Amino acid sequence: MTKLKRILASKTTVTLVWVVGVMAIWEVFAFIVAATKRTPINVLPHVWQIVESFFSDKAVTGKMTMAQLIATSCGETLSRAAIGFLIGTVLGYLLALLMNMSGIVEKIAFPYLMIIQMIPILGMAPIILAITGDIDSSRMVIAAILTFYPVSTNTLAGFKAVEKEKHELMYSYAATGFQRYIKTYIPFSIPYFFTGLKISAPMAITASILVDTLQGGNGLGCMLSQSLKGGMTRLVFWDIVVISAIIGILSYYLMGLIEKLICPYKRRGQEVIL
Amino acid sequence: MKMKKTLALTLAALMAVQLTACSGSETSSTSQTESQATENSSAGSSDEMTDEERIKAAAEAGKVGNWGLGNEYEIQALLTKYGLPIDYITQDFTMDQFDSDAITLASAMTYNELGLVKNDYDGALNYGDSVGIIDMNDQGVAMLEDNLFCSKKFAEENPNTVKAFVTASMKGWAYACEHPEEAAEIVFAAGSSVSAGHQEYMAKEVAKVVTTDTKGNPVSADKVGQMDEAAMQQTLDLAKKYIKLEDTAASEKLQSFTLDDIRSTEYLTYDPEKDGAPEKTSVSVQLKWLPQCQFMGYYVAQAKGYYEEVGLTVDIISGGGDISETTAVYNGTVDFGVTWVSNLINANAGGMDLLQVAQVYQRSALVLVYKK
Amino acid sequence: MTNKARLNLLASVLLPLCVAVLLFILWQTEVLHILLGTDTITLPLPTRIGEIIGQNADAIWEHTQISLRVALGGLVMGSVLGYGIALIATIFPKWGAGGLSIVSAFNAIPIVALAPVINNWTRDISTEVDQRSTVAKMLVVMIFCTASMSINAFRGLTELKPFSEDLMKTYAAKRGTVFLKLRLPNSIPYIFTALKVSVPSSIIGALVSEYFAEDTVGVGRQIRENIVKGQYPTAWAYIAVACIIGIALYAILMLVEHLVMKRRKG
Repeated sequence: MTKLKRILASKTTVTLVWVVGVMAIWEVFAFIVAATKRTPINVLPHVWQIVESFFSDKAVTGKMTMAQLIATSCGETLSRAAIGFLIGTVLGYLLALLMNMSGIVEKIAFPYLMIIQMIPILGMAPIILAITGDIDSSRMVIAAILTFYPVSTNTLAGFKAVEKEKHELMYSYAATGFQRYIKTYIPFSIPYFFTGLKISAPMAITASILVDTLQGGNGLGCMLSQSLKGGMTRLVFWDIVVISAIIGILSYYLMGLIEKLICPYKRRGQEVIL
Repeated sequence: MKMKKTLALTLAALMAVQLTACSGSETSSTSQTESQATENSSAGSSDEMTDEERIKAAAEAGKVGNWGLGNEYEIQALLTKYGLPIDYITQDFTMDQFDSDAITLASAMTYNELGLVKNDYDGALNYGDSVGIIDMNDQGVAMLEDNLFCSKKFAEENPNTVKAFVTASMKGWAYACEHPEEAAEIVFAAGSSVSAGHQEYMAKEVAKVVTTDTKGNPVSADKVGQMDEAAMQQTLDLAKKYIKLEDTAASEKLQSFTLDDIRSTEYLTYDPEKDGAPEKTSVSVQLKWLPQCQFMGYYVAQAKGYYEEVGLTVDIISGGGDISETTAVYNGTVDFGVTWVSNLINANAGGMDLLQVAQVYQRSALVLVYKK
Repeated sequence: MTNKARLNLLASVLLPLCVAVLLFILWQTEVLHILLGTDTITLPLPTRIGEIIGQNADAIWEHTQISLRVALGGLVMGSVLGYGIALIATIFPKWGAGGLSIVSAFNAIPIVALAPVINNWTRDISTEVDQRSTVAKMLVVMIFCTASMSINAFRGLTELKPFSEDLMKTYAAKRGTVFLKLRLPNSIPYIFTALKVSVPSSIIGALVSEYFAEDTVGVGRQIRENIVKGQYPTAWAYIAVACIIGIALYAILMLVEHLVMKRRKG
C-alpha cells in the first residue's frame, strides 16, 4: 500500500501522467481532424502515425529512412546550435559581469542589448554572411546572438539580487573586488544564470533550426521546409517538430543537471522544476 | 482602452478556436453541405464556365492565391487584364489552403506544386484530373523565370569563365531535357531530398518548360539558354508595370531600364581556341532552392563532366532560404546564381548591377490551379 | 527625487545616446561599413533610411499598427497564460511542475515552422483573411511569451525570503493569506524580469509570424518582401521602425517597473 502510494507520488509518475494527458488531448483533436478534413495529416496527424513513420524502414527521400534522415539533419543542426549556445553563454555571462562591475557599461550596453534582439535576423543575415563569408559560421553567430540575451539579463538580475547584508559583511572583511566576486556575486548568481541557460538552451536549438532556412543545406530547418513544400511526406515535418521539442526539453533538463552538479546545495523551490 | 478591446477580441477568437474544434464535426458538416450545395449549383455550369468567369469569381471572393515575394506580378497582370483589383492571399509554403478551399485559384508551378496537387505520391494531394489550370502563357501575361546570372563586374573581369560556364551548363540542360529520367537519377544521387516520384515528375515538366517557348513552339537543343527578345521584353514591361517600390530612387531606376541593363547575349557561345582559357577556374553557382530537378541541367553538366571539359571546377550550392541568390552573388559569396528575371530586375533597381547571361526557362511555368 | 537619483537617470539616458550619436557618425561616414566589411546597399546609410521613412510615413504607420496589435495581443495572452500556469504550479507543486516542463518545451518547438500549421488550425475561425490571420499570428507570439513568464513567475511565487514563510506561520496565517501577502508581492519583480525577455521576443515573434501569414501586411512581412526583392533601404526602414517599436515598449516597461517598485518600497 505504501509502496503504491510512493509510486503514485513519484516524479516519474507525475511526468508520465502529463505526457499521457497531452497525448490524449492531441489524439482527441486528431480524431476530430481526421473525421472532418480531406488531408488530416497536414493539419494534425495521429500520434501513432508520427511514431510509426519514425521507425518505418520506408525510404522518405528515396535513399534514407525517416530515422536516418532525421539523425543526419539533427547532427548538423545540433552541432551548430551547441557552438552558438556556447559562444552566446560565454559572451552573455561576461557581459553581465562587465555590466555589474561598471554602471557606465550597464547603462550603455543594456539598451543596445535589447536593440540587437529587435533587429530581425533577416536584416542581419546578409551582413553577417558578408563578414564570415560562410553560411555555416553565419548560422552559429546568429544562434549565439539569439541566445545570449536571456543569459545576460538573468545573470545580471542574479548579481543585483545579492543582499545588502552580504555586501556589508564582505566590506567589513575588507574583501577585494576579486574576492567579492568569487565569494558572493558569482555563487549567488548561479541559480539565476541557470534560469537564463534553461531559457536559452532550447532557444539555441530553435534558433538553429530557424537559421537553417536562411540558405539550403541538410539541417533540420531545411528538411522541415522541404517537407512543408511537399517534396516529401508531411510526416517528416511532424517528426522534426516532435523530435526538436524532445531535444529542447532534454537540453532544459541537461542544464538542470549541470546546475545540480555545480551547486548541489539546492535552494528551496527549485527542485520542483527538475 | 484599445488594448482591452484587442484582448477581448483575441480571447473571443481563442474561444472560437476551441468551439470550432470541439464541435468540429458539427460545423464542418454544415460547411460540407454548404460547399456541396455550391458545388452542385456550379456543377451544371462548370463545363461552360470560362477562365475569365473563374478568375472573376475567385477574385470577388478574395480567394486568389500567390506566394508574393516577387512572384506575384503575373497574377497581378492577369487580374488587371480582367479589370479586377490586384489583391491576393499569401500562399504559405504548402498547398493546404487550396486543399481546404481557403484559396480557390491557387498559384502553382507546373513542375512542382501542380504535381503535388495532382499526383498520388507521399506529400502530394492526389486530386488527379479533378483540377484544371489557367496558363499564364495562354493568357499573354507570361514572365520568364529561372535564368543564369552573375554580377556585371564578374562578367567583365572573367568573360571566358562566364562563357565556359554558360555553354557547359546549357549542354547539361540540353542533355537533361532529352533524358529526363536519367537526369532525375543524377539529381537524386547529388543529394536531393525530394521524393523519387516527385523528382521524376519534375524532370519531365521542367524539360517541357526549357524546350517550349511562350507561344508553344519547340526550342531546339542548340538554342537552350537563348534569350527570346519578345518574351524578355514582355517580362520587363510587366515588371515595370507591377513592381511597386516604396523607394522612389529605385522606382525611377526601374522605369528607365531597357533589356541591355539586365541581360547580355555575349556569353552564350564559347570557343576556347579563339577566346582563350577561363580566367577563374573554380566557380560556384547558387541555386534558387534545395537540390531538385528544377536545376537538373547543372547537376547533369557536373555528373557528365561538361564543366571539366571546359576547364572548370564547379561547386553547386543549394539555395532555398531568405538570403536570396541575388544578394549572395552581389556579396561575392558565390559567382553565379539562378533566379527569376523579375527578381533580377528588382535587385538591379535596388542598385545591385547584376547581369543575366542565359535564360533557361523559355516560358512561364506558373499556372493558376482550380478544382473543377 | 534626490539630486543623485536625477543624475543617475540622466546618465542612463545620456550615455546610450552618446553611443548612438557616435554610431550614427560611423555609419553615415561609412566607417562602420569598412569595419563590418559590408557596403551601402546591404547596409544603407541612415539618411537614406530616414528619407524612405519620410516618404512612406502613412504606409509604414499602417503596417506598424498591425504589427503592434499582434505583438501586444500575443504578449498579454502569453503572459497571462504563463502566470496562470505558474499559479497552478505553486498551488499544486507536485503536478504543476510537470506542467511547467511542458510549457518550457514550447520554447523548444520551432514555432516559426509551425506557422503554416497554425494557419491550418485557425482556418475555420473566419472566412475573412485578416481576422483569422491576426489570430494565427497572435497565437505564435503567445507561445513565444508563455514560457519565460511561467518560469520566472514560478520562481517569484516560490522562492521566498528565508524565514518569511515561517514568520507567516507563527502568525497562524492561512494559506490564502500567505499567498496574497507574501507570494504575490514577491513575484512582482520576477514578472518584470520575465517581461524584459518577452517584450523584445513578442516583437520578434510578431515580425516572424508575419513572414508566413496569409495576410500580406505588417512590418515583418514588409521586411521579408523587401529583402528577398533586394530592396535593402526599404527593408532597413522597416527594420528601424521595428527597433523603435521595441525601444518604445521597453521604455514604457521600465517606467512602469520604476513606478511600481518605488511604490512598493515606499
